[in-house]
Amino acid sequence: MGHPGEGLLLGMGATRAQSSGPEKIEVFIDDQPVMVPPGTTVLQAAAEAGVEIPRFCYHERLSVAGNCRMCLVEVEKSVKPVAACAMPVMKGWRIKTDSDMTRKAREGVMEFLLINHPLDCPICDQGGECDLQDQSMAFGSDRSRFLDNKRAVEDKNIGPLVKTIMTRCIHCTRCVRFASEVAGVEDLGTTGRGSDMQIGTYVEKMLMSELSGNVIDLCPVGALTSKPYAFTARPWEIRRTDSVDVMDAVGSNIVVNHRTGEVLRILPRTNEEINEEWLSDKSRFACDGLKRQRLVYPMVKDSSGELRPCQWEDALLVAGRALAAAQGSVAAVAGGLADAESLVALKDLVNKLGGEATCTEEIFPEDGSGTDLRSSYLLNTTIAGVEEADLVLLVGTNPRFEAPLFNARLRKAWVHNELDVAVLGPNVNLTYEAEHIGEDPAIIEKLLSGTHPFSQRLKAARRPMVVVGSALLSRPDGGLLYARLQQLAHQLRAGCEGGAEWRVLNVLHRVASQVAALDLGYTPGVSKVRNAPPQVLYLLGADEGAITREDLPADCLVIYQGHHGDRGAEMADVVLPGAAYTEKMATYVNTEGRAQQAQAALVPPGMAREDWKIIRALSEVVGAQLPYDNLAEVRDRLTEVSPNLTRYGDVEEANYFAQASALAQLVKGKQEAAPIDVPQKVLEDFYMTNSVSRASPTMAKCIAAIKKEAANRHRDK
Amino acid sequence: MKVLVAKYDACLRSAVSENKMALRFTWSLLSEIPIARCHRAVSTSAARYVDDLTVKQVEPKSTHKTLMTSEEASHEKAVSGYITIDTPHDITAINGVPEEQLKTRRVLIKIPTKNSMQSGTNNLHRWKISFDEKQRWENPLMGWASTADPLSNTEVSFSSREDAIAFCEKNGWNWITESPPVKPPRVKSYGANFSWNKRTRRSTK
Amino acid sequence: MASKLARAGVRQVKPILSVDHGEARQRVLNLYKAWYRQLPYIVMDYDLPKSKEECRAKLREEFMKHHHVQDIRVIDMLVIKGQMELKETVEIWKQKHGLMAYWKDTVEPKPQGFLNKFLDGHE
Repeated sequence: MGHPGEGLLLGMGATRAQSSGPEKIEVFIDDQPVMVPPGTTVLQAAAEAGVEIPRFCYHERLSVAGNCRMCLVEVEKSVKPVAACAMPVMKGWRIKTDSDMTRKAREGVMEFLLINHPLDCPICDQGGECDLQDQSMAFGSDRSRFLDNKRAVEDKNIGPLVKTIMTRCIHCTRCVRFASEVAGVEDLGTTGRGSDMQIGTYVEKMLMSELSGNVIDLCPVGALTSKPYAFTARPWEIRRTDSVDVMDAVGSNIVVNHRTGEVLRILPRTNEEINEEWLSDKSRFACDGLKRQRLVYPMVKDSSGELRPCQWEDALLVAGRALAAAQGSVAAVAGGLADAESLVALKDLVNKLGGEATCTEEIFPEDGSGTDLRSSYLLNTTIAGVEEADLVLLVGTNPRFEAPLFNARLRKAWVHNELDVAVLGPNVNLTYEAEHIGEDPAIIEKLLSGTHPFSQRLKAARRPMVVVGSALLSRPDGGLLYARLQQLAHQLRAGCEGGAEWRVLNVLHRVASQVAALDLGYTPGVSKVRNAPPQVLYLLGADEGAITREDLPADCLVIYQGHHGDRGAEMADVVLPGAAYTEKMATYVNTEGRAQQAQAALVPPGMAREDWKIIRALSEVVGAQLPYDNLAEVRDRLTEVSPNLTRYGDVEEANYFAQASALAQLVKGKQEAAPIDVPQKVLEDFYMTNSVSRASPTMAKCIAAIKKEAANRHRDK
Repeated sequence: MKVLVAKYDACLRSAVSENKMALRFTWSLLSEIPIARCHRAVSTSAARYVDDLTVKQVEPKSTHKTLMTSEEASHEKAVSGYITIDTPHDITAINGVPEEQLKTRRVLIKIPTKNSMQSGTNNLHRWKISFDEKQRWENPLMGWASTADPLSNTEVSFSSREDAIAFCEKNGWNWITESPPVKPPRVKSYGANFSWNKRTRRSTK
Repeated sequence: MASKLARAGVRQVKPILSVDHGEARQRVLNLYKAWYRQLPYIVMDYDLPKSKEECRAKLREEFMKHHHVQDIRVIDMLVIKGQMELKETVEIWKQKHGLMAYWKDTVEPKPQGFLNKFLDGHE
């Protein structure tokens, strides 16, 4: 090692070899050769060969625990069986997954597990989808040799979502690992040893996490089950429809579980790009809101000012006459749950009638390039792209409650990729350590000019991300601040290692409809309607109270189309009942700009109809017939307006950052002194954010439980 | 048989004079009845009777074939073989499915989604078809589940996507397919739980 | 969304009755003639409230419904089904209403047009 240059060359060679992927090694699974990268565990190598090794504690997305011992397999020339989940393979290993030794080991482990497991499968909610049931059928013994009494464990109360029957627990610690690794709440743990071991919170307290429902999925037995779904249905009675969630702008993939026209539960569906395998509690449990407060028949306000149920003919006629008489003084406001099909139909109708104002409830600044360039309102790096970043600056957003799965991704990168996170805004608990750089909006200007201490960190970052929340954008000076952030992002992009491929600027939306609406050319914010009140206002699921009756003249007719009797329906003169997201074939675009299809699991209740059809029918009554009669034709129209809206599953990349930044330089305005704030700061604020979750009794129970939990003396304040 | 028996009667009558002769005659006549074959059917002995090994055994000709003309014979041969066609495979004209169930339905072809409650993957190896949802309701009297949809309970699985597509095309259904989720490789290490300078270090066990 | 695949390749298949189009056509014509000749008797036997001409028009309509069918085997299968139907009719294994169902006089028409379907609940 005398020559310094030699060492350097060797070092470079090593990195180059790593970047091109390490050399694979050959192992044999049941005599079948398979090539895997070094460091692969026996269990993963077997999966590569198409052999599934039984497991309880091992989970792909959690750390390796190796404590259930179910995955024991024989390795040739090894005296003892090895735990497949924790053992990395060595070159030339011959692994026998179905040998006598393996089978005997599995049977022995199964016998130990069943010693203290109650025989209550007939009354257990996990029955029919229980790993312990499945694996004891496949690998267990057909008789028991254990004659002593079974152990019993006290049930814990960990909140209104997760029901615990701790006697059933087999101590796989999946829930403990999930809580501490993914959810980032160190509430769950183990106490005691041997047969006295228990999973729990040590002192009685609630599992305060926005992702707590996932422990129900993870639990391989019936120890943690869903409280709202308890004793409701068996898995074999259920119909499953793959769909997309609309509770936030992430667009998590879900499976709607339903039976006899009722959504019983919602489970996550794996999508590595978006939600991996997790689902937030609101998406999972707010589905009981779909049965309450529903609008099931059309209604028209009578002379006494009360909404009266009527036939579709009457409601369409009243609405149609008013629209025709308005002479083009028509405006539309779309809410957060609207789908792309109804958005395009409504915009076409309003435009055909001569109206111009089609707005969304959610605000986005119109200064600079506004919404003209697609890249300025998307989460450009994508959710999965977070795993490549090394520094994230969150501005005016609390992703933990605005987009829990985006936050889970940030946390994953924080744990595994040493990602650093900085927060500009209120100092909220994000479940991981984040550097709080202040709440003052003036800091943005300082960051841009490079005079803030944090600027050095930003400049040094290889792949920085700036995530802008909708709370910042809806400030009165949001346009100015956003323009400065655009400039900052463009500055960082020029210097960063990722080059042109790496997009620094990201916008994190709060509602599912926003990106589709902006793609279709809706105007963000309702100021247009406020400034020039129309004669007829069409609310498409606008329930957040962005526009109220006070903003409108007394003779303005309000048509509300939506699925829940919420704020929008309250102020309406004509109510047209629409379909919720589980009841229509619809397109939603998430905050990344990824179009996804929701499938209809049910039919809309009562006389309610799919949303775009209502608008299409109304258009015919008004005499401004829209040129589409079926879903395929509506989607053709969507493609015509914006082709990305029907490229399902793909993120349509957006660019023109330089142009957006150049336009942003022109933005002038007065900066407010008010600190940057976010509306959702604590878990309590998370549960009720739209008409479905506001109607959900489970969400109400969550809020009540958290209020009660405040008095818990065991909780650290 | 009738003729044979009549002959036998005649022989008996003529055999009144010559007894020995008559007996031989009778035997020779009776032997015309395929007695050996009857024997073979019921025989329990190991020995086998074969009619006459010197004569080549031929399958008896069926009347159907005997009466066929040469064109018919060649047609029959052609039908038992193969024909070449180039028309699309479409059985909608003969499968008896009403037109509104063909034109309005859309079939989704995909590998079933994994149930997130379970870790097993054995059900995820086949392609399944499913129809878009039509109305189903709970019967107000008995609470039974009802549906107006004859196809919603159809579940057919295929070993490949192409097979499923061919099946849908043949039946005249519109179809769309979804690809199964891709699994990126993951590095799992037991040692990461104990690494002293990484955030993967576990506080809880 | 995947587009429709054109699946018309030249391939070898097992025939049912006919080996070529000419033969299949002949079978269809034979069946048509058999029906045509039987129609007066059918009208009489079943006491149908339809004239011979109306029945002939219906017969033609039923055959023309499948005029687009190209596949020899599908034609053969339709011929077999038509033959069975004829046999059932001639032997009076059917009843009057079974034949009158061809005219669908009592079937309520489904709503046409988007708005009508919407109001009816079909859309």
